[in-house]
Amino acid sequence: MVQRLKEVDVVVIGVGMVGSILAKELAAAGYKVVGLERGSTRFTVPEFQSPGIHDELRFDIRKALMQDNTREPVTFRNNTSQSALPVRRWESFLPGTGLGGSMVHWNGQTYRFQANDFELATRTKERYGKGFLDADVTIQDWGVTYDELEPHYDRFEYLLGTSGKAGNIKGQIQPGGDPHESPRSREYPTPPQKEHFSGALFRKAATGLGYHPFPQPSSNLSQPYTNPEGLKMNTCVFCGFCERYACEHYAKSTPQTFILPVLLANSNFELRTGCQVQRINLDSTKKTATGVTYIDNAGREFEQPASLVITSLFAINNIRMLLLSGVGKPYDPTAGKGVVGRNYAYQTMSTVASFFDEDVIINPFMASGASGTLINDFAGDNFDHSGLGFIGGAFIGAVNTNGRPIQYHPTPPGTPGWGKAWKDAVVKHYNHSIMFSLHGSSVSQRQNYADLDPTYKDAWGQPLLRITFEFPQNDLKMAAYVTAKGVEIGKAMGAKQVAGSPRKAPYTTQQYQTTHNTGGTVMGNDPSTSVVNRYMQSWDVPNVFVIGASAYPQNASWNPTGTLGALTYWVADALKNKYLKNPGHLVSA
Amino acid sequence: MVILFGAGSAYAAAPPPEAATCLACHGPHGEGMVDGDKPRLAGQSAHYLDKQLQDFASGARDNAIMSAIAKGLNAQTRSKLTAYYASLPVPAPLKGTTPTAAQAARGHQLAQEGAEAKRVQACNNCHGPDGSGVALSAPALAGQLAPYLATQLKSWQQGGRKNDAGNLMSSVATRLDDADIAAVTSYYANLDASTPSTR
Repeated sequence: MVQRLKEVDVVVIGVGMVGSILAKELAAAGYKVVGLERGSTRFTVPEFQSPGIHDELRFDIRKALMQDNTREPVTFRNNTSQSALPVRRWESFLPGTGLGGSMVHWNGQTYRFQANDFELATRTKERYGKGFLDADVTIQDWGVTYDELEPHYDRFEYLLGTSGKAGNIKGQIQPGGDPHESPRSREYPTPPQKEHFSGALFRKAATGLGYHPFPQPSSNLSQPYTNPEGLKMNTCVFCGFCERYACEHYAKSTPQTFILPVLLANSNFELRTGCQVQRINLDSTKKTATGVTYIDNAGREFEQPASLVITSLFAINNIRMLLLSGVGKPYDPTAGKGVVGRNYAYQTMSTVASFFDEDVIINPFMASGASGTLINDFAGDNFDHSGLGFIGGAFIGAVNTNGRPIQYHPTPPGTPGWGKAWKDAVVKHYNHSIMFSLHGSSVSQRQNYADLDPTYKDAWGQPLLRITFEFPQNDLKMAAYVTAKGVEIGKAMGAKQVAGSPRKAPYTTQQYQTTHNTGGTVMGNDPSTSVVNRYMQSWDVPNVFVIGASAYPQNASWNPTGTLGALTYWVADALKNKYLKNPGHLVSA
Repeated sequence: MVILFGAGSAYAAAPPPEAATCLACHGPHGEGMVDGDKPRLAGQSAHYLDKQLQDFASGARDNAIMSAIAKGLNAQTRSKLTAYYASLPVPAPLKGTTPTAAQAARGHQLAQEGAEAKRVQACNNCHGPDGSGVALSAPALAGQLAPYLATQLKSWQQGGRKNDAGNLMSSVATRLDDADIAAVTSYYANLDASTPSTR
């Protein structure tokens, strides 16, 4: 028995970063908004408080803040010749669940992409000529430009209070910042976090090699801040429990700190938790959504009619929601046709470990998730790729995020994986090692995609999402090249031993890399190669908007959250100023 | 005899002669004084006490009397005094400091859990389990005298005290009202952190 509820103006599926920002914008503009969240409510007090929030076994190992994969896993395979199997333990990437979404457990690294990232196909062809790329690479332009997004990046960073140092304000290069960044309209809202010792050593070495180190932009704040919504945030205490954890101090920017209190106080908004949305409902023409159907924790099924449906789920769940709902044509890798699930991409993470003598004291536990010093000299298209056979790059940084006892055990290559020799090595090296993160771009490729699994179903009987992914040759070449540069920096820091680990195939879901899954509901200007238009509106069902990193046609060299925040405000403006005044296609196909 | 031995050994160290100045306000055993909001020093971490003396001297912590005294201390004397006070046993809470039931509940909430409506995190996040202090970063609050704690929270609110990292204490203190301050200070004052031998 399905209960049909009273129609509302807007239903938002997933009340994470995107959902809470958009719901707030639309509720404030007078629209009736219902937010459906499959997880539970949770706030800094009491849920995120010490000492419970520092339970490494619960949060690091047992992944307490993540999507429940006993009920809703994904399946995975490297290529179409394999049978995909369910991922029973999250390791490679960590999709969150609950109010505030995955942002509750993020590290706070808050980057912008560069101007050429948004026009990657065009700019690559211009600079390196046709035929530079492998034939199966399917990179494309975003349909939106950096200049269009700049005011929205700015708004997002000021919402979060991001701590950083500008490198380029309106074309003027700023000392101390990143000279490679695209122009920003003003300085960061708060100054950079303090530099830890590994960052200082990195800065010295990188400067000596002629590179351009700068402090990582961090949304773990360097000082108290009141955001434009009137919400106060505190200074980060460098406790080292960011990623995989929630912040106990109101110091890490999450929906709980920067928007939810304002949203929840608005009577135009209603939050419903424990609501597992099954699908977006379409009318008989399949060109208009009539609302959504969800099942609550008591097993009751509801239909929530709405004039506008916003799906603001974690990237892979956005893909699945469209596939379960029949919104957009599913991608077929054999024919290379169809769009939903196409251009699934990731992030190509490599590491460089530098081991020092015991008189070099690093104190790795004294960290925030986004403190650190890095260079962009080998990121994106900031260096000449002629003759290299790949595009893209990585930032290289001493961005050590924690020294937590269960998770952080740097040991040199050749150390046994267990036993006395391993223990001795951990004791010897724990406080005298620096790990660089080499945060690499990811090209989209014809063979990498997501679709519905033919075999496995979730706890509600719906097909799971199946991910088919292998690292493209382009990105493996990139990883090898950039890792060699990282090793040079490690040596220049005076490390006794430097071990570079460029990312290698095969991709495995059993090793943590990063929660930067992108693509699958790509944005663009051509309906034959994109799911949504430049305003993230479905080409097929114009009263459905799909917002997430699933819109990225390929992934850039930086953490994706800043760009997603900018896109969220970009869409908010399009909804308020264009769509809701005159519903229909914002871009004609 | 055992009790006498225990008590005797706890007080065995004679105060350094420089402590004569301290005794007048902070009490013969570093127990503090309710009148005039003088804190208990006994059992507080030496690192914390030393930093406070330096901050009184530099002006980062505002107090006319302590500033004058601290300016007259060199590092060696500071070290001697702070080690002495850190070694003293913590006395039991003063009689008559019992909070009301409502204050105890609110104080316990602020200490252990925080207050979402005010965006105040739990005091114990930084001040340690049951406000027992974290040697190199945050002072013990348990068993500290309520009038002193209240004066400090007011001072953080008003900017007279600003000697912490990242303005954390002023962020928290400005979100507390007078009733919160009365509750949380009486809660901590009444927590028994006394050294076992003094019970």
